[in-house]
Parts: sequence; structure tokens; C-alpha cells
Amino acid sequence: MSAAATLPVGLIEPEREVTRRPSARSRALHSPTFMAGAILTTTIVALALLAPVIGRYSPVSQDLLHTLAGPSSAHWLGTDEIGRDIWSRLLYAGRTDLQVGVLAVLFPFTFGVFIGTVSGYFGGRIDTIVMRIVDVVLAFPFYVLIIALVFVVGVGTHGIYIAFGLTDWVIYARTTRSGTMVARNLDWVAAAEGGGLSRTRVLWRHILPNTITQAIVYSMSDIVLVILAVVTLGYLGLGIQPPAPDWGSMISDGQNFIQTNQWLAAIPGMAVVLTGVGLSLLGDGLADILRPE
Amino acid sequence: MTPVLEVEGLVVEMRRHRVAFRAVDDVSFALEPGSALAIVGESGCGKSLTLRAIMGLLPNRGRLISGRVIVDGVTLPSDARGRGRGHRQHRRMSIVFQDPLSALNPVATIGSQIAEAPRHVLGLGRGASRARAVELLRLVGIPDPERRYHAYPHELSGGTRQRVMIAIALSSDPSILLCDEPTTALDVTIQTQILALLADLRAERGLALVFVTHDLGVVSQVAERVAVMYTGRLVETGPTAAVLPAPRHPYTSGLLAAALDVDSPEREPVPIPGSLPDPLRLTSGCSFQSRCRFATPECMTTDVRLERVGPDHEAACLHSDVLAAAQAAGRRG
Amino acid sequence: MAEALIEVDDLSVTFRSEHGRTLRAVDDVTLRIAEGAVLGLVGESGCGKTTIAKCIAGRVAPSSGVVRFDGRELGLKRATEDRRAIQMVFQDPYSSLNPRMTVRHVLSELLRVHRLVPRADIETRCRELMSLVGLPRGALDGLPSQFSGGQRQRIAIARALTVEPRVIIADEPVSALDVSVQATILRLFEDLRSRLGLTVVFISHNLAVVRHLSDRVAVMYLGRIVEQGDRESVFSDPRHPYTRALLASAPRLHQIELVRPTVEGEPPSPIDIPTGCSFHPRCPRSEEMCTRDRPSLEPVGTRAEHFAACHFREEKSPEAPEEP
Repeated sequence: MSAAATLPVGLIEPEREVTRRPSARSRALHSPTFMAGAILTTTIVALALLAPVIGRYSPVSQDLLHTLAGPSSAHWLGTDEIGRDIWSRLLYAGRTDLQVGVLAVLFPFTFGVFIGTVSGYFGGRIDTIVMRIVDVVLAFPFYVLIIALVFVVGVGTHGIYIAFGLTDWVIYARTTRSGTMVARNLDWVAAAEGGGLSRTRVLWRHILPNTITQAIVYSMSDIVLVILAVVTLGYLGLGIQPPAPDWGSMISDGQNFIQTNQWLAAIPGMAVVLTGVGLSLLGDGLADILRPE
Repeated sequence: MTPVLEVEGLVVEMRRHRVAFRAVDDVSFALEPGSALAIVGESGCGKSLTLRAIMGLLPNRGRLISGRVIVDGVTLPSDARGRGRGHRQHRRMSIVFQDPLSALNPVATIGSQIAEAPRHVLGLGRGASRARAVELLRLVGIPDPERRYHAYPHELSGGTRQRVMIAIALSSDPSILLCDEPTTALDVTIQTQILALLADLRAERGLALVFVTHDLGVVSQVAERVAVMYTGRLVETGPTAAVLPAPRHPYTSGLLAAALDVDSPEREPVPIPGSLPDPLRLTSGCSFQSRCRFATPECMTTDVRLERVGPDHEAACLHSDVLAAAQAAGRRG
Repeated sequence: MAEALIEVDDLSVTFRSEHGRTLRAVDDVTLRIAEGAVLGLVGESGCGKTTIAKCIAGRVAPSSGVVRFDGRELGLKRATEDRRAIQMVFQDPYSSLNPRMTVRHVLSELLRVHRLVPRADIETRCRELMSLVGLPRGALDGLPSQFSGGQRQRIAIARALTVEPRVIIADEPVSALDVSVQATILRLFEDLRSRLGLTVVFISHNLAVVRHLSDRVAVMYLGRIVEQGDRESVFSDPRHPYTRALLASAPRLHQIELVRPTVEGEPPSPIDIPTGCSFHPRCPRSEEMCTRDRPSLEPVGTRAEHFAACHFREEKSPEAPEEP
């Protein structure tokens, strides 16, 4: 078929026009959801990362002469009941919470996507086994598990990582599996395999890029869920231990002063809300952009 | 005779990526009682939207900008969605869609779906509507209608489902049947059956028919008149017996030259050069000029309208005479 | 007679449905396809034509019978060279391309994996493939969503040609396209076939397309071939009532009168195939013997290349021209 190389342009009318699709960057810039989410999230992350620089005090240093102070030039957001600067604590707490949020999702994402892809593509017994395990895990109440783990492993972030590692992967596995099962029957997969490409290559280089976008979008909300779980655990006293700051324990501590100094609980609460909103918008925006049409 | 359906200056705007364009641009036609009109065009020409605009079923991205729909001399009221709220005259029209599987309710028996209009629109009692549904099932050629009343859509084959759709359409006793590519998804032997059914129903009940299709071969069997659409506009209308043998618009002529006919296998199909223009970037003048071999600079600047080119035959082309001459020469040569 | 490039012998494919019933998608099919020829495989939905295509292309395993290519038996597992030799083009242009891969990526990956050209020449070869199907080289950078249906089919054809096949199986490649675009793609098939010497299996329910493009035709119904032969014999003098019905139902541009159906009813479910001749419940010609005896595919009269599976195959079609 080397004759193909020397053939003139065909008898058929060559097409002149191919409509251009706006580039990914352009689509990103034009999606208000994505932009709002990106701006909000990057701001929060930047603030958290810059905590040592823009936090003016150590989060644990106490100033017992100025407890429960309102906002002032010395303390931008005031002080708490033992004189710690709220602004600094807020930033350092954000650091901790965001870090835990992202790290806790990493393993479930990777493992879940892998297992889901394999299960969806090969089907059969592997699929049945995996799905039964998924059912069992889903039946398990999350907080019961984590409290039990805390008793075994001790309080702090280890328990959170392990608990999420054990339970969170199933959602990724499920969405990836259904995406893979759908893709498996599509003509373009048949064409790729028919072209002589190995199944491994087709699975990881062809199918996965299509199915992973849903997992990525979900991971944004998942990070929010982890942060909420950390916050809840902190509130219950089972999460990040004092004196290390964490939004949950800040809210919990601020409870006692809800009548008089509302901001002690409200400010970290707002931080959680804004982070959640930012990540959700980012996730939605990504979903818009990553859609191939 | 008053036309049973008149459509005047229908304009429908659609939004895509925040930009609006005219998907149906100034479409007008009249339908005599008991007659049939085929609307022909390729995908994206606006033929389905035209039907939906007439029925008031535009999708969310579409808006009716202007135009009137007149049934039996009465103008139908409508809002910007093209919807009128249950106006009496709307009941004179029914629509049959292309894909019966998605047009039928999967969790209701076909009988109950056919009985719905008699019950809730015509106000018949339960027993009477059920009897009517059974009668309609028999009318559309479904054997054993008493038993089939209780079947669910997924239990039926494609052709039978389409017959059910037709029965539903007839259940409100319309005088106009709008058909949106009703046989496109069916096998060709089944298509023949459905077309014969529609023809018989037309003859028995004096139904007027608007038949949307992309298949030119079906047109001559179904309708005495044909309207050709391109980028939302009517480019040619006239009697089928006049338009198909001697089209007066280059697009119609192009379609006929590109179509294959089973009886003429030696004839090479001639593709229409170029491609469909982007609806968001339509320039002034004729929308076909970029692909037309008769185009002159005039075509780019003049707003082309439908002009009479023969008895009851109109074409929107400045050079339809040139086309006619070329065809005549081709026949002589 | 030269050895056929593709031989299908007594091929049957059965599927088991959920309730344990068996579905014969393909029933005892025998075909010969010569190199460089175009076989038109015609039939309505559910007749098994796509399943046969998948067997030849190695996506579905035969339940019995055999597929041979160039004399070698081919099953699901086949050598890479054999897999490359038979390529498919699919019906739906909107699901036949990976939405996330650029055209360049698709073509160059195949070229690389199979080492078809030296690395330095990959880009040039991609451009040649584009011009072969009539697309501008700028199309290489595009993603499928940027292309129209006709353009996507061209890309799919380019992809099939990348691995230098000898056989292209086209499963309804133009059914989803507009009339003007169909003409372009059909021209492309003709062009490629004559210049590259490709063997083509063209599957379609559209008789006009099949008659235009094919050398030989096989008509299928409920998994069986009911008529086959060279194109002109089958089309001008069909000897099976189903073929005649298909021909009568084919839409014609200048048909004035309504075509009355010659077959009533619909094809039965393939799980419940009728006894005797599977077409008898709908056949206008059927007689008592048709319910009992299943007719086999036998030559028609003295013609060597025309076969029909009908007890009345010797009766000429009413529209057939007189024999000279």
C-alpha cells in the first residue's frame, strides 16, 4: 500500500473548513463557575500556605492580658478566650485542614479509579467480587468506623487517613466502573482494539482519560467532605489535638461563647463554608470544561 | 376552500453557546383539508423545529420570535415558547415523532396511553375511552387489540410502537397530523406498511398531513406537495410531480443529484460541494451561494425570497431560469 | 477460480439470553469473497449481518463453522498482522472516535505501535492519510467534537487505512449521514477501492447504495442467507420473495403511486424462529410445504452464480427482463 504515499489528492472534494473549538484555556476563562471556584479556592489555599508570613502571631501564643478582644490593629480578627490571635489561628488551621483534606483523598482516588477500571473492563468474577466488597463498605456507617479506629490507632490525623482510605475509594470505583463499562461497548474502543493495540494500552491510554474526569470532579467535593469530617471530629474532640489549631476545634471552643462573642465560632465556621463553596464551584466548573463537546 | 392549517412567517430563534441564531426563518405555508405536504431537508435545516413550533413544543433553547399558526381560520394564541395553553384549536392537530421508544411512557400500558386523550381531553368516561383505545389499536392494524391493550412499549417491536404512536395521535380526533420523520428509524419493509397505513387513514378520515423527512424517495409516495428547507428557510415549494423531475432551486437539484436511486445504479451520485454554513455566521443574501454553481455576486447582496416559477411552484433563487435552461439542455444532450 | 480471500464456512453464532433461551444470530452462513471485490450484505435489523462482520473482524467468536482469511483460519485470537489486515468502519460517526484523542494522536499511535513507518516520517504519513480522505492537514489537530458527521466518517476511514488493511468491513457507514454527504463518502469508498485494491464488505439496509457499490450481493433474513449472487442477477431478477419485497419497498425518487406492502407483519424474535422456511409467516408466496421444509440455498436455474433459498426459486421475478 505504499501507493498511498504517491496518490494525488482524491477525486472527492477536499474539505476546506474545519470549525475550531475554543481551547481549554478559553473555555476555562469563560466559565463563570470555574472562575469563581478557582479564584475562591486559590485565595484560600494561598492564604493558608502563606500562614507563617501573614499570620502575625504564633497560633499557640497566648496573651492573657487581651482575651476575647474584638478586632483591632493589633489583632485583625480579635483574640479568643485565652488570648490567641484568631487570624493566625484561622490561617494555620486552614493549612492543617486543607492538607488533611487533600491527602486523605489521594489514596481513595488512585485505588478506586484503578479498581473501578479493571472491574468495569474485565467484568466476570473480578467484577462480582469487587462489587460485593463495595456493597459491604457502603453499608458501613462512616463515623462508627472512624470512632472505632480512633480508639485503636489513637486520636489525630492517622485515624482519619486510615478511615478514609478504607471507605472512600468505593465511590471512585463505582463511577469509574460504570464509565468503563459504557466505554467498553463503544465503537471507538472496538476500533482501537481492532487496530491491533493491546488491551492494556486501550484500557489505560484510551478509556481511562474518558472516565477519569468524573472522578476528578467528584474528588473536589470529596475534599470538602473530608474537611467537614475533620471539622466534625475536631468538634467532638477526636480530631486534631490542641494546641494545634483546626477549624473544628475552634468552632467547638467558641461554642461556649456563642451568646457573647459570636465571632469565635462564626469566623472559623465561615471559613469552612467558603472553602466548601470554593471547592464545589471549582468541581462544577471543571465538569463544564472537561466535557469533550 | 379555507386551508385547514396556515403557517405565516414563523421565526424560531435558538441559542447556542450564548449566541442566538434563526433556526427557522420566515417559514410560511398553507395546507388544504385532506392534503399532504412533505417538508424535506437535511439535518439542521429546521424542519423538525418548524413542526414543534406549530405544536407549541419548542425545546428550552428555542424561542418563537414571530409568526402565526392558524387552524381552521382561528389564530392560535401562543407565548414566546410557542405554547398555547390547551386551546381548543390545538386539538385539531396531533404529532407523531420519530422514535417511539422515547416518545412513549415506558411505565404505562400502551392502551392507557391511547385512552388518555379521550379520557382527559375529550371527556369520555373510563369505559368509553378504553373502548376507543381498543378500536384505535385495531384501526392501526395491531392484531388482537383487546389483549395488546395491556402491553408495555418495550414489549413491542419498532413498527408496532410506531403504530401505537399513530393511534395516540388519532385518539383526540385531529384533522391535521404532523409527522416528524416517523419512518426514519424503521426497517424499509415496515416503513412501507406505515406509509400505507397513513395513506389509508388519510383517505378514510380526510386527515391533512405534514410529513417531515430527509428521504427524497419517500416524498413522492406520501405527499402531493413538497417544501424544501435549507438553513431554516424555505427554498422551494410546489407540487411533488413538478418539483422532483424539474427542480428550480440549485439546492433541490443538488439533493436530487446526490441521491441514489435503486433503479439507476450506473448513475454516479454527485455530492454538493462545500458544506453547511455555520448558522452563527450567516451572511446576507442567499445562504446557499457558497456551494452553488450558478452563484453570482448579486446572490450575496440580494435578500432572496420565494418567487413564482410555475403554477403553484415557488423557488427562492435569482437564477432559477438559468437552472431550468441547464436542465433542459442536459436532457436534450 | 482463484482462492477467495475470505472464506466463511457454515458459520453459526448463537447467544444465550438471560432466560436460558438460545438466540441464533447467524445460522449456517457460507460466503466467498474474492480479493478486490465488494460484497454487499443486505438485510433489515436483526438479520445477523453485523454479527457476521464481527466474526470476520475477530470481535465475536463463532459458535460453529469457520472464518478463513488467505487460507488461514481466523478466530478471536489472531496474529497482529491478521488483525491489521481486516479493519472495520462503523455506522455511528458520533461514537466511533475517542472524544479525547486528537486525530493526529489516533493515527500516529497506530503507526508507532506497528512500526509502519520510520519515526521521522510519521507526521508526513499522517498528512498523506488526511489527503487520501480529503481532509485538510489542519484536521490532525482537531478533536472529534469539532467535526461534522461526514468528516468524522472520513477520519474513521483514515484510521482504518492507517494500518494498511486488505479488507475493509463497512457496517452501515453512510446510514447516519445526510444525502449530500453520503454521496461524498460513497465516492471515497469507490476511489479507495479502485486505487488501493481493497476488498470491501459493505453492510447496509439501503438497497440503492448496495446496488451502486457492490459486485456481489447476499441478502439475509433472521440469520440466514436467503439469496446471493452477482449484483445484476439478484437485483434484476430476484428469486426470493423477501428480496423482491426489499426491492419493492426501496424508496424511489420518482415513484408516483404509493407502494403497497407485499409482506405483512414484522420479523419474529430471533429466539422464536418459525419452523420450515423462517420467512413463511410473512411470505406472499408461501404454501403448506414451506411450513415444514426448510429450503436450502441452491443455484437458480443454469446460473452458476445466483443462489436462492426458496422452494420456488425457479419462478422468475415479474419485473425481470426477458432472457435473450
